Amino acid sequence: MNPMIRKELRQRMRERRGWLLPSLYLLVLGAIVTFAYFLITTDRGQSGIQGSTVGVTLFLTLAYSQLALLLLLAPIFSAGSITIEKEQRTLAGLLTSLLTSGQIWWGKFVSSLLFVLLLLVTSLPVLSMAFAFGGIGPWEIFSATLTTVIILACMSAVGLCCSSAFQRSVHATAVSYATVIAISVVTAIVFFVRLSIYESAHRQAAAAGRGWYDIPLNIRAPMYVNPFFFLTASFAPPKQLYPAWITCAGVFTAFGALAVALTLRNLRRRGDV
Amino acid sequence: MIDVEQIRKSFNGTRALDGFDLHVGAGELFGLVGPNGAGKTTLMKTLSTLLPIESGTAQIGGLSVTTQAREVKRLIGYLPDQPGVYQDMSVREFLEFFADAFQLRGARHQAAVGRALERSGLAARSRDSVEQLSFGMKQRLVLAKTLLHDPKVLLLDEPATGLDPLARVELREQLKRLQAEGITILISSHILSDLEDICSQIALIGAGRNATDAEGHSVLQLRAAQAPVRIYEIELLGDSAPAVTIVNSLSGARTLESSAGRLVVEIGGADEQAAALLRALVVGGVNVLRFDHRALGLEERYRLVFREKHA
Repeated sequence: MNPMIRKELRQRMRERRGWLLPSLYLLVLGAIVTFAYFLITTDRGQSGIQGSTVGVTLFLTLAYSQLALLLLLAPIFSAGSITIEKEQRTLAGLLTSLLTSGQIWWGKFVSSLLFVLLLLVTSLPVLSMAFAFGGIGPWEIFSATLTTVIILACMSAVGLCCSSAFQRSVHATAVSYATVIAISVVTAIVFFVRLSIYESAHRQAAAAGRGWYDIPLNIRAPMYVNPFFFLTASFAPPKQLYPAWITCAGVFTAFGALAVALTLRNLRRRGDV
Repeated sequence: MIDVEQIRKSFNGTRALDGFDLHVGAGELFGLVGPNGAGKTTLMKTLSTLLPIESGTAQIGGLSVTTQAREVKRLIGYLPDQPGVYQDMSVREFLEFFADAFQLRGARHQAAVGRALERSGLAARSRDSVEQLSFGMKQRLVLAKTLLHDPKVLLLDEPATGLDPLARVELREQLKRLQAEGITILISSHILSDLEDICSQIALIGAGRNATDAEGHSVLQLRAAQAPVRIYEIELLGDSAPAVTIVNSLSGARTLESSAGRLVVEIGGADEQAAALLRALVVGGVNVLRFDHRALGLEERYRLVFREKHA
């Protein structure tokens, strides 16, 4: 086993946030799902509501809120991962040992991702509530989980890239959050602004109702780096994953790969240890 | 064992190393001195494979630190100027992690950790958290970690900084023992008395280049039978100006310091030169009260090299 993974996991589980964050995460997630449940059943309780509708609503609420929470938590685990070695002046010891830059990166990446995945796994009991109401099949759960893992792996890689580029954890974390906001919020704003401009220029077509693929690619493009759109694309049946989900997966994988390459380059430069 | 030829390294256009040369033989305990910003830490980082060089060559044990970095890492133990520790690990966990990082396996792993605990004198505290150790103990722990994989060469950058006098004595003794075991040691330090005690030779570095003393030596021999230059302290009665004139007119002699009634002079060559100077002073009418040979310490030699350059 890579000694970096063992060391990182040991250190992470000894930190107070090792148990505090999963507890808080579950509390928040539980509160959101409970709130969503009462909202659905209270509004339509008198007229009666299909169990599958409750199941689907709970599942979608859970999937989106889980992604939002994990996007907020991922930089905490990854962005400080290499900067902490610089701050406590232990990076030189790692780089002059026989550990390669790749092993150091892999140890940091796996431990960051595993901790976020731990949070994902701890939410399974909450997810099972949605499952119990019906309307959700194994495919939806699998594709949503896979999509969430791809997004989190990419964001962990981006966090590590920021961590390798900066000297201080606070700077690396700030830039990681800026990246999360840029891809989650800024892309959506850009998309909706450009779409409204486009639709006001093409009123007739807009009035006739349009599908996603009727929107020009240059307007759609920013959404392919949006994690919430990526998650939405994962709810499509297997045969309809192409092109939206596949494109998103390709974009996120490329984004992650670029972050890995930059991190390894930064680690090999080494001048700032 | 360590061969550096004309290495150059810049940071944002500023030359940190500018054609520096260094040759350290196997088994030597070799010092490196120079003012702040002279390039000592950059040289250490270069030799420890942390920094790439722009030009020149740097080899350890015949292996290039740039193209054979992995093999060089097996040979060296590097102690940075401000070594860090994992505060939340126990002493044993810290050593075990680095033993794993140096790919020590099985019995070799256990033996290395046990030996490191003994060497650092922390065997009794192996279960304690690193955070609980004193600064000196942490320094011993980091040095023990540096020795885990039995390196042939030790690169120590300011290892005594922050240590109390007793810990410094312990460090000096440990370095002498390691040298006796055949390990080549390159040590940079501002604590010249420590270097004087343990090193056989000391390289001078200034502005990234080899600095030289008045005789043009860039490496000071500390164990030499006879220093090439001798310093004399002269006490006079009256004005020292005529004495300064006489000293400076004599071949091989020069005034280093002069104040009312006191001169410090440097005389090259054998005792006959000193006798000639004393005779010249007396014949020249200078009332000499005291004429003492002063052993030229490393501190003085350092001052002579770098104060003049600084001025």
